[in-house]
Amino acid sequence: MGSEAIIVFFLAGVVLVAGANFLSNLISPKSDNPQKREPYESGMTTIGPTWVQFKVGYYLFAILFLIFDVEVAFLVPWAVVFGEMGSIALVEILIFLFILGLGLAYAWKKGALKWE
Amino acid sequence: MELNSFLLMRHEILLFSIILLLLIAELFLPRNKKSSMIHLALVFFGIHTAVGFLPLAEGSLFGGMFRSNEMIHFFKGVLNIGVFTLLLQSAQWLEKNMLKQDRGTEFFLLLFASLLGMYFMISAGDFLMFYIGLELSTLPVAALAAFEIMKRESGEAAVKFILSAALASGVSLFGISMLYATNGSIYFEDIMSTLTATNLTLLGFILFFAGLAFKISLVPFHFWTADVYQGAPISIASYLSVISKGAAAFILMILLFTVLKPLMHVWEPLLYILALATMFTGNLFALRQQNMKRFLAYSSIAQAGFILLGLVTGTQLGTATVVYFVTIYIFSNLAAFGVVQAISSQTGKENMKDYEGLYRTNPKLSLVMMLALFSLAGIPPVAGFFGKFFLFTAAASKGYYLLVFLAVVNVTISLYYYLLVIRAMFLRKGENPIPFFKSKIYMKLGLFIAVMGMLALGLYSPLYDYIYELSAAFN
Amino acid sequence: MEKVIFYLLAIIMVASAIASVSSRRMLRSVVYLLFVLIGAAGLYFLMDYNFLAAIQLTVYAGGIVVLIIFSVLLIQHIEMELEIAKSSRRWFSALLCLMGLSIFLGTIYSHPFAVAETTSTTTVAEIGRALLSFEKGGFILPFEVISILLLAAMIGAITIAKGGKEIKQEVPESLDIDKILQDAKQQAEEKVMELESSTKN
Repeated sequence: MGSEAIIVFFLAGVVLVAGANFLSNLISPKSDNPQKREPYESGMTTIGPTWVQFKVGYYLFAILFLIFDVEVAFLVPWAVVFGEMGSIALVEILIFLFILGLGLAYAWKKGALKWE
Repeated sequence: MELNSFLLMRHEILLFSIILLLLIAELFLPRNKKSSMIHLALVFFGIHTAVGFLPLAEGSLFGGMFRSNEMIHFFKGVLNIGVFTLLLQSAQWLEKNMLKQDRGTEFFLLLFASLLGMYFMISAGDFLMFYIGLELSTLPVAALAAFEIMKRESGEAAVKFILSAALASGVSLFGISMLYATNGSIYFEDIMSTLTATNLTLLGFILFFAGLAFKISLVPFHFWTADVYQGAPISIASYLSVISKGAAAFILMILLFTVLKPLMHVWEPLLYILALATMFTGNLFALRQQNMKRFLAYSSIAQAGFILLGLVTGTQLGTATVVYFVTIYIFSNLAAFGVVQAISSQTGKENMKDYEGLYRTNPKLSLVMMLALFSLAGIPPVAGFFGKFFLFTAAASKGYYLLVFLAVVNVTISLYYYLLVIRAMFLRKGENPIPFFKSKIYMKLGLFIAVMGMLALGLYSPLYDYIYELSAAFN
Repeated sequence: MEKVIFYLLAIIMVASAIASVSSRRMLRSVVYLLFVLIGAAGLYFLMDYNFLAAIQLTVYAGGIVVLIIFSVLLIQHIEMELEIAKSSRRWFSALLCLMGLSIFLGTIYSHPFAVAETTSTTTVAEIGRALLSFEKGGFILPFEVISILLLAAMIGAITIAKGGKEIKQEVPESLDIDKILQDAKQQAEEKVMELESSTKN
């Protein structure tokens, strides 16, 4: 594939997004008043800071996701050559999956997969 | 590839099976039986330690990625005894604090995983295995440092540790990539034959060295040590200063004396300077410490400086003395940390002031502490004296008289602060000394092994001859 | 033509990297970091390391950035801006960085790298074969050890994040809407009482 196409694609992307923003700034009607700057235009103002601390559960899910993400990265090349390598590849991947499967079982048992 | 050739990895396979068994037991054991996990883990690891001393063949596996010889085998055995002693010493703390919260097995799982990483690091035949071993040995320790998560300092220690460890391993990896770029291979064997001192290899070597220097807490990379030791649970501080540092010093020795030998004219002056800086910084900062964990942290930095003294020689005598010194250091520091652990898990006191008058109330504990500090300082009857003496001989035999002289000055400084603790225990009366208490059987056994190790290494000279014989493998 | 793409990517990466370390809001830093990681994936594509580029996108841009974002959101005072360092200190660190950069660039450019005569793309099948091979140049041992590393990381993360039962009470429940509502109600009632008592007087 010609690399010119990539450059054209890149430039088109930049021009389209920047152009759309610029145009909408240019032609949209503007109004500004104090009410508009409130976090909620109707209803109550918020109590306390609007940023809330996330639960630690999100983090746990993210880290588990990441670990299995890395695992998948190793599974892909295995899957490509599995046909030609046969049983030995199967044994190797079974060890790999068994170890990580135990990890998953541990996470399950400890309630890391449960949303509280 | 025959199946019994995997026996070369006996240490790794056994330890890995223990991890799996403990994990499965953790999954299926009902909650009220969890307290038996400590005994189970101790029995498993005791068997592993005992089996570890059976002789093992030399050789390499996986095309040279994994290699073992008698020296490596011996050192893994030493690490095993060290970890076993450490487990015995921490059993009481673990039982008291952790099983209440339904987590005690994780301590063993993570500790064993870290030890497994050290095995792989020591046995590595290429930079990839080395790096993975380094990561595997570091990462679980960060989680362990945060084990007492209710304590703010424990979490803080873990954050400090993981941040500096991540930085160090990143820098190290960058260095490895440069060595790979100039040599075209990650196998130690190949690199050994092609390594020449170009600018890029030197830069790579220095970056790579920085990563290991972090683990041994040599001076420009020592900032994490005192804070992490103080915040982390005592078992983990002990593990970091004893097992982690010992293993890292050992692998540094292997790498310097084999793969990086062609760069000897570079690392010789580098180690010379670092040795002096590390000894002086560690000793001078140790003088002012009041907290026992911080005190032992700086003392262990100073000891790392002495290890460099043997490394700087690059001879077989250097190899033997370094291994001998590290082995003695492991036992001495285990004894010292063991006493701190015993007192802390009984009373929660960790300051030097609390130790005043300890001899009157707990004579046995204070005797163990005295032996350990004598050994660390290098006072004649105990093993530490011979360790330091041989190190100085090795360095002097290569003509480093100034370095040896400055090291002796450092020994004198260290004598002062080690004696401060001894004075507090034996001569001061103390306003409210720690009342008499009886330690549990595991703790007693742990301290006993550490003391026996110290005495045996010092008094039974065939051990040193044996180490000297083994050290021929690296020169 | 490839040079143009390289420089485009390089400019994006360097600019985002600088923006990432100099931004005073943490969340913005993370987003700039995302651009750096995507740019790195672009470089891999440019060098025909397609598998590596895909991994870079899924693991780094997909996984790690999400993890960083979540850990930033875990912080209590996220609206906090990082404080500005003293200007003397800023100049000092800038100088230090420039020195480091010049050392690295100087050494790397001075090294006589051999230019490869033939370039060939590493296919996924080749990676797979190397990954499962026992011989020299095979990576079966690191492959299995990495699974232990991942297992240890998982156990460690769960140990820290889950903790024991005693810890749960200490974690502030900031998403507890009932409590916030109750507090607000109580405050409103107090106000009403105050108003009533003042009008009576």
